[in-house]
Amino acid sequence: MDINWVGLSAALATFLGIWIGHVSVRKIEREVVNVWIPAGIALLAGFGLWLASTLTSNLPLSAASGIVGVTLLWDALEIAIRQPARVKHGHAPANPNNPRHRQILADYPEATTVDLLDRDPIGRAYSAEEIAALKAGGR
Amino acid sequence: MNFFGIWICLVTLFVIGMGFVWVIRGERFFGYLWWPYVMTLGILCIVGSLFAANNWVSALCGAVGGSLIWGATELKEQAVRGELGWYPFNGRKIDPPLVKIIKKWKAPSL
Repeated sequence: MDINWVGLSAALATFLGIWIGHVSVRKIEREVVNVWIPAGIALLAGFGLWLASTLTSNLPLSAASGIVGVTLLWDALEIAIRQPARVKHGHAPANPNNPRHRQILADYPEATTVDLLDRDPIGRAYSAEEIAALKAGGR
Repeated sequence: MNFFGIWICLVTLFVIGMGFVWVIRGERFFGYLWWPYVMTLGILCIVGSLFAANNWVSALCGAVGGSLIWGATELKEQAVRGELGWYPFNGRKIDPPLVKIIKKWKAPSL
């Protein structure tokens, strides 16, 4: 029986595209002042990979290029729109060394420098007081 | 021109989008401790994709497998999101088989 490599290529592109995109979006949005520059680069790279996927007759390569391309297009949206919104709501930590995030901390009471997701589940809902204590820097 | 990659990536985008849905709903009703089963299912999908004769079936199995493995690593963070009140919290979750053993393992989070 022949081995079909298209699926493994799609799986690796899907997993690595999401993983690397997930980590990069958080890091880039945290450090960069003008998020539209990296978002524009991700947009161009995504469309570039889409074009590349149409120019190869190799199916595993075409699938991987297309999938990584679409994850980059999604990353552009995440960098420019969705991740800044999370920072404003306190769902992602603000970076006080970034002037854009300093402004968010000043304008949005829910914003925090604490990474509230960096903990193990406790099996029950937190009370409002506990969440306030977490945001104050306690664990 | 070869449009295989474009069609596959659009299908994959849908699969990833559904990943958001099942991670949120699945964690709410079953809890994050099901992660080893989800990861195993993802690995089985990828192994199955190697033996699919049809390229579309192989690619779909691979994309679903990759998405399931990613979702398995997201369940722990999703559990914390629910506990923090960012999503509805359900205190009566359905434990997986071998839950006592799974609790001793560190749940993956990337």
